[in-house]
Amino acid sequence: MKKQNVLIIGAGVAGMEASQLLTEAGHKVYLVEKESLIGGQTIKFEEVYPNMECSTCMVSPKQQEILQNENIDLLLLSEVKEVNGTAGEFKVKVKKKASYVSLANCIGCGACYEPCPVSLDNYFEEGLTKMKAIAVPCAGALPNVPAIDAENCLRLNGKKKECQACKEACMFDAIDFSEKDETLDLEVNAIIVATGFDMLDLKKLPQYGYNQKDNVYTAMEFERLYAENGPTEGKLILRDGDTPKTIGIIHCAGREEQGYCSAVCCMYSTKFSHFLKHKLPEAKIKEFHSDLCIPGKSHQKFYQEALKKEIEFIRCQDISVEKKNGSLQVNYQNGNIEKNTFTANMIIVAPAMLPGKDTKTLTETLGLSQDDKGFFATKSKELSPVTTDVEGIYVVGCAEGPKDIPDSIAQAEAAVGKIMNLSQGKNNE
Amino acid sequence: MSKKIGVYICECGTNISDRINIDRVIDEISSLENVGIAKKYGLLCSPAGKKYLVEEIKKEELTHLVIGACSPREHEQTFMKVCLEAGLNPYLFQMVNIREQCAWMISDKEAATRLAIKYIRAGIKRVTLHKSLEKIELESNPDVLVIGGGIAGIEASLSLAGPERKVYLVEKTEALGGMTNKFAQLLPHQGTNLSIIKDKIEQVNNNEHIEVLTSSTVKDIHGFLGNFEISVTNHEQDSETKEFKAGAVVVAIGFNLYDPKEAPAYGYGEVENVINALEFETMSSTGKIVLKNGKPPAAVALVHCVGRKEEGYCSKTCCLYSIKFARILKDKLPDVDVSEFYQDLCLPDKSDQNYFEEAKKKGIHFIQSDEIEIKDINDRIKVKYKSAEGKKEELIVDMAILASAMVPSQDTPKIAEILNLPLDKTGFFKEAHEMLNPIATPIEGVYIAGCALGPKNIPDSIVQSQAAAGKILTTLVPGKKLEPEVKTAEIREEFCTGCQTCLSVCFYGVISFDEQKGISTVNEAICRGCGSCVGSCPSGAIKIKHFTYPQLYREVLEALR
Amino acid sequence: MDKDFKPNIVGFLCNWCSYAGADLAGSNKLEIKPFLSVVKVMCSSRVNSNLVLTSFLWGADGVLIAGCHPGDCHYEKGNYYARRRFALLKKIMESLNLEPQRLQLSWVSASEGKRYAEVVNKFAEDIIKIGPSPFRKNQNL
Repeated sequence: MKKQNVLIIGAGVAGMEASQLLTEAGHKVYLVEKESLIGGQTIKFEEVYPNMECSTCMVSPKQQEILQNENIDLLLLSEVKEVNGTAGEFKVKVKKKASYVSLANCIGCGACYEPCPVSLDNYFEEGLTKMKAIAVPCAGALPNVPAIDAENCLRLNGKKKECQACKEACMFDAIDFSEKDETLDLEVNAIIVATGFDMLDLKKLPQYGYNQKDNVYTAMEFERLYAENGPTEGKLILRDGDTPKTIGIIHCAGREEQGYCSAVCCMYSTKFSHFLKHKLPEAKIKEFHSDLCIPGKSHQKFYQEALKKEIEFIRCQDISVEKKNGSLQVNYQNGNIEKNTFTANMIIVAPAMLPGKDTKTLTETLGLSQDDKGFFATKSKELSPVTTDVEGIYVVGCAEGPKDIPDSIAQAEAAVGKIMNLSQGKNNE
Repeated sequence: MSKKIGVYICECGTNISDRINIDRVIDEISSLENVGIAKKYGLLCSPAGKKYLVEEIKKEELTHLVIGACSPREHEQTFMKVCLEAGLNPYLFQMVNIREQCAWMISDKEAATRLAIKYIRAGIKRVTLHKSLEKIELESNPDVLVIGGGIAGIEASLSLAGPERKVYLVEKTEALGGMTNKFAQLLPHQGTNLSIIKDKIEQVNNNEHIEVLTSSTVKDIHGFLGNFEISVTNHEQDSETKEFKAGAVVVAIGFNLYDPKEAPAYGYGEVENVINALEFETMSSTGKIVLKNGKPPAAVALVHCVGRKEEGYCSKTCCLYSIKFARILKDKLPDVDVSEFYQDLCLPDKSDQNYFEEAKKKGIHFIQSDEIEIKDINDRIKVKYKSAEGKKEELIVDMAILASAMVPSQDTPKIAEILNLPLDKTGFFKEAHEMLNPIATPIEGVYIAGCALGPKNIPDSIVQSQAAAGKILTTLVPGKKLEPEVKTAEIREEFCTGCQTCLSVCFYGVISFDEQKGISTVNEAICRGCGSCVGSCPSGAIKIKHFTYPQLYREVLEALR
Repeated sequence: MDKDFKPNIVGFLCNWCSYAGADLAGSNKLEIKPFLSVVKVMCSSRVNSNLVLTSFLWGADGVLIAGCHPGDCHYEKGNYYARRRFALLKKIMESLNLEPQRLQLSWVSASEGKRYAEVVNKFAEDIIKIGPSPFRKNQNL
């Protein structure tokens, strides 16, 4: 078996699974991740359905293995810029942004965060809280090494060239302002695209009353709100300082506009309900949905248990949210009743899952194409769902289309199988 | 052999040295029995620190190493590699956490120092009881057994077979293809004709590395990952038995359909022209869609979710194939009136909604209703339902096609027993880990693909088969030996009473009972080292390497000092 | 209640969840009372009755077993066995005239640093209230 070099774009659960398997077989992996931490979106969740399993506990052994694996070259703050060549011989240019913090020297003590004078929106926490220009975005992030946001750092963006508050606080000589962005030239035999998903910006759907001021939250914002390592330490303190008492969860936001069901929202919305009932037993919760998409063999039971906890599921259409007398009112049409209302002090909206932000650019770079929904196109019509039109390049996980964690991992394993066969000269695309 | 323990305490820059009086710790522990040398160092995990340790181990001829520093979760692996480099067995090393769980949680320097002393003492006492553990290497057979010749089994075989790996594909019927042999067509986003599957079957038959055993069933499987011994019986040829070895098994035995007779409200078997999905597939593949009286239907009802409530899950594929049926009906009989009765429309793939919208444009009616009853009325069929507004309604049709739930294949319990595989509450096979390991099982080397694991469509079955191939191809690399877990359990025969409590708690099927000797034995090749068996053994017959009772006991004693 | 009483508590933490949670508590510099010593095991199910009872017989004032939340066990079922054993141990302790509250089983996940600190501190407080173990005088280490 010839040792392969494989480029994996995206260090979420799918990317990590593929990396691990390939290195077990003796291959080498370049794992390119655009953020400064690994784990993708899964590490934003406190719990996952259907077992309400602790998400970080589930993923952290995998993350640790990736970080300690000598056959994985982890390239953080990196993006693929150019790809030339064909299967078996891709020449890739990766732009690696400087983090200004040495992975080898930094021990993660966090002493550098406090003295930093800059405060910016924390992207990981969906803007619900602030972070410094040098920081890890959340407690428990792996690797536990901060990066400096060059655009906002006063020294690096030129606004206060003499500032070195973080460097002075560091006892390990881990900060180096002279670090430069690099371009790496890699030669790889195969590429796996595992760039994950994004979510529809609710501001594009004004009927849901999402304005980042009232207690209307997107699903991701709520994930962070309830996370133990999140902005409220799991205490569910709302924007107006109140705690949730009556909650409306709205499914299918953007389904009609995007033209597809996002496959996971009914389940994670039910997860939210389970969690809320557990934390706030007196809370009144209603879920507003069009159809219930609960296809997994253990999913219906999860839903039925929610029903037993007196969580109401209402099949309806024409859902909108308005502010009324200081509360939030959900307006909806169901059955033969034209206008129904439900008053809540918290609304959670499940927006459509979109392809990752860089999908278009990446399809151009890799010579791939997007399907009619904007996701990476694959040969699904030929019953080969992870292969693309370019031999040697595979697309897995939510980059291919909305799906949950087990399906993303199965696709990652399938791509690995394909690469193993490719490495033995066996082409059964 | 005399022991010489080297104790090195990391200052972690100032992270530890600021909060613990390291000099005092060294003073207190350096005179302990077997401690040859005790020193502190600035940053042990740095390249310089690691080099220093390698030199120290060699120079001082240390027999054991204790490091007091950060959490073992951070750097135990790092320092184990240091031991290897220095020629010291990496298990004769104990990493003591005096940072996260000591220095960083106790602000009183005196108290923190005292706890650090306790922990280092515990580490020293424990390490004297450590045994050298060597990596085990096992030969493994790269061949694979695939049980089930449906689309999942076919895809798995094609993905796995090669010059260095033979695949045995065992199929109980005479032909490959499974349920797809009954289909007239697939779904457009899966390719509208079955030629792709027929091609795959041909590829399997022409592949010299795949031995196809039709009309055969698996009789028995013994062994473990890399070393399975299999016997297969051919029931056509006088029960001739074939025996062979393989390194891994893929179970792809597919599904069955729920028998609608179990839900009498649907009238199946009672009302004429009420048929189930597979019967309609067969009918449409003949090209003629007709009622029992030979005439074509003027109105057809497609009833989704049959058996959903009874079985307790949605079968994921039925909404799509019912729409497929509706479109076939409209194509073949342009004037036919088609109505689909559903509880929820399950359209999870990105192109499913388009397919549904196009169906609506063809004039197919979609009616949401949670309750359906089918009765006969004057040679026709009356579908009684409750509308979304809550009113009782009826629709008269000529034919009703029931989309029944997908249930586990009837061979599931038998295969589960042969392979010691657990089933979940739905009766399908249970995954090793529902989220992170969806096609593996608790039994190493055994994977499941396709509907044997739960309802799914053809593309998803294919992904799972390829995923099984991905797992197997990376684990059983020809020429590469398997390196199982080192910290495994072992049973001391003389203490085992044969109660089999350990067997009952082992999730991984690692323990078996030797009838002759009347004792249980551990297959160390597949033991995961959790210690559940040790915890439950009433006679203390099982010990687990590196977490033995004396080792833990020593830590406890120091804790209580 | 003896204010000078410094309890000796042994904590058996499972490698995957609770030990990671304890590390996280440390990374966040959460303060814990210095009365608990951690003994790491791979799974809470490893902690057999012998280990617990010996701890008490050697004078432990309290024993804490920490594992993954039900359903999250790295080895699938280990924590369920720990829970069963724990129930049995409570009964044995009663027969030894040992207050059963001296043994506690807690679930701590890898992201629950704060919870770990709370559990440890509350347990320490509870043990201080109960007082020194009647077996303390056995200590002759």
